[in-house]
Amino acid sequence: MAIYKRGYERYQGPLTSHWTRVLVLPRFAWRRLFQQRLVLILMIASLIWPLLCGLFIYLSNRLDLLQSLPGDIKNMLAINGKFFLIFMNVQSVFSVLLAALAGPGLIAPDLANNALPLYFSRPLTRVDYVAARMAALVGLLSLVTWLPGVLLFWMQSGMAGWGWLTHNWYLGTGVFFGFAAWILVVSLVALASSAYVKWRIVAGGLVLGFFFILTGVAEMLNAILRVNWGSLLNPTRSMYIIWSAMLGQELPPGPGVWECVSVLAVLIVLLGMILERKLRAVEVIS
Amino acid sequence: MTAAIEIDNLRLKLGRREILKGISCRLGVSGSGKAIGLLGPNGAGKSTLIQTLLGFHRPHAGSARIFGFDCHRQAREVRSHVGYMPESDSFIANLTAVSFLCLMGELSGLPAETALEKAHEVLFHVGLGEARYRTLGTYSLGMKQMAKLAQAIVHGPDLVILDEPTNGLDPSARLRMLKLVKEMKDEHGMSVVLCSHLLRDVEEVCDEVVIMKDGLIVHQSNLEEERRSNRRFVELEVSGDDSALAAHLSALGAEMVSEGGGRWRIVLPLEFEIARLWQVTAQLNLGVRKLTHRRDSLEEIFLKAVGHLQATPHDRLHDVPHADAVAAEEVSPHGHL
Repeated sequence: MAIYKRGYERYQGPLTSHWTRVLVLPRFAWRRLFQQRLVLILMIASLIWPLLCGLFIYLSNRLDLLQSLPGDIKNMLAINGKFFLIFMNVQSVFSVLLAALAGPGLIAPDLANNALPLYFSRPLTRVDYVAARMAALVGLLSLVTWLPGVLLFWMQSGMAGWGWLTHNWYLGTGVFFGFAAWILVVSLVALASSAYVKWRIVAGGLVLGFFFILTGVAEMLNAILRVNWGSLLNPTRSMYIIWSAMLGQELPPGPGVWECVSVLAVLIVLLGMILERKLRAVEVIS
Repeated sequence: MTAAIEIDNLRLKLGRREILKGISCRLGVSGSGKAIGLLGPNGAGKSTLIQTLLGFHRPHAGSARIFGFDCHRQAREVRSHVGYMPESDSFIANLTAVSFLCLMGELSGLPAETALEKAHEVLFHVGLGEARYRTLGTYSLGMKQMAKLAQAIVHGPDLVILDEPTNGLDPSARLRMLKLVKEMKDEHGMSVVLCSHLLRDVEEVCDEVVIMKDGLIVHQSNLEEERRSNRRFVELEVSGDDSALAAHLSALGAEMVSEGGGRWRIVLPLEFEIARLWQVTAQLNLGVRKLTHRRDSLEEIFLKAVGHLQATPHDRLHDVPHADAVAAEEVSPHGHL
């Protein structure tokens, strides 16, 4: 029967599981995100560098010319921790740009249109909502961070052989966990920004500003006070130090790894508190 | 029989202010398709009560249960049985109505294909069939209200909570909304909580009414019973010597009071047929100028409950000594109350 001829009937069938319901939000979010041309262009652009890295891995393992280069040059072109650290640095920039573009569209419209009571009057808690919104960003950022990173690692392992894999296994785990931590920070910054300002464009600017302005402030502090702990204010720098440790690279001058971990943990807690405070079904003015 | 809503000494503080001050009541019957009207002046705590029922606020004392589930501790179970239409604009502006309803249906637990089917079905049901592929941001106020109603019923809940559903609707849209609400309870067996400041809406649709003031329930009544009792409450105006009328009607089991000038208020016994009244007046040679069923309007009940009216006409009848006594003492056949 045509739908317009049918009357309304209450649904009496079985309901889906809790997690199926939670995953509805990221599914709808991805559908909307990939309808945006800018997001698609940026996604494609952010995959160019991994492709180039893949090409480099292929060439370094296949071309006899590279194999026959003198020791110093050969070391420079080796696939090692430094190679992956550079890869991660470049991809982290793209991940911030993607988060700034896609993140604010996840929460800000819900707040601007007062849609939260509709979500929270359904079997969905605030934690579920944040997890679902975060899953949308994590999925998107994974496509340009750890997924290509781990693929490159396995590509190199496949081409260089078992010996290389057993000596460099920590590079694979470093890429995966390093990017996982980065995605957590970037996603939380994007979600908190969009929860805080409600306006999508301003929230996007705030995400970029958070990373770029803090970098500038940290450098200014270091220069004016002639210290190096100012870098702790720069989450990008803190993450770089953690990545360096994970990939077995020499640590740059500045704060230690555990100091950086602590600062990022505090940042994550603060961003979580912003989300806890802002994402309520109804705003209570006491 | 499980009550649809059970509230026991519910207290809620927001900041330092106590909004709900120990509310207790049992409303509706699970699966019976009754509508409950929630009335009260601005700031009485109606919306806060609804939000507490939905688990948005944590009560600091007492409890609230919907279909036996605790609204705070079992919020997920409660919300699976409830559809909520908020008072203010709540939607996702750049979604089409169909996508919006699909999303809401799936979040409530409908499988994806069913949600799509139900979205179309409900949009036709509320009269938005032709506009279902338009984005919600382009809808008029009346259409947005209908879209909000549609999202509240897309998953077929057992209880639908409607917060000011007729706000901003023109008369025809208002009638349509009230018709849909009536259908929800009468044809689909849903329990409905209708929070409104429009007494006519509540009177038209609801079976029970709760009136709140300053965070307390000041009146709760069953409108069905009120309507039944109103059918027994008549106002009579006669010409001629009506001094014997009280005695005659009392003998037939009626209670009455004279308002003077031949005007009487009479409560008829249940089995009393109105034809008997005509017979008595004819027997006493009285001319009947007026005979009407007098009812306490919801407005009078409301005004009395919130303290703007001393008593309803019905109350005034019961406040005076029994009509038999009035007749026996012969105070005055036309004595004023």
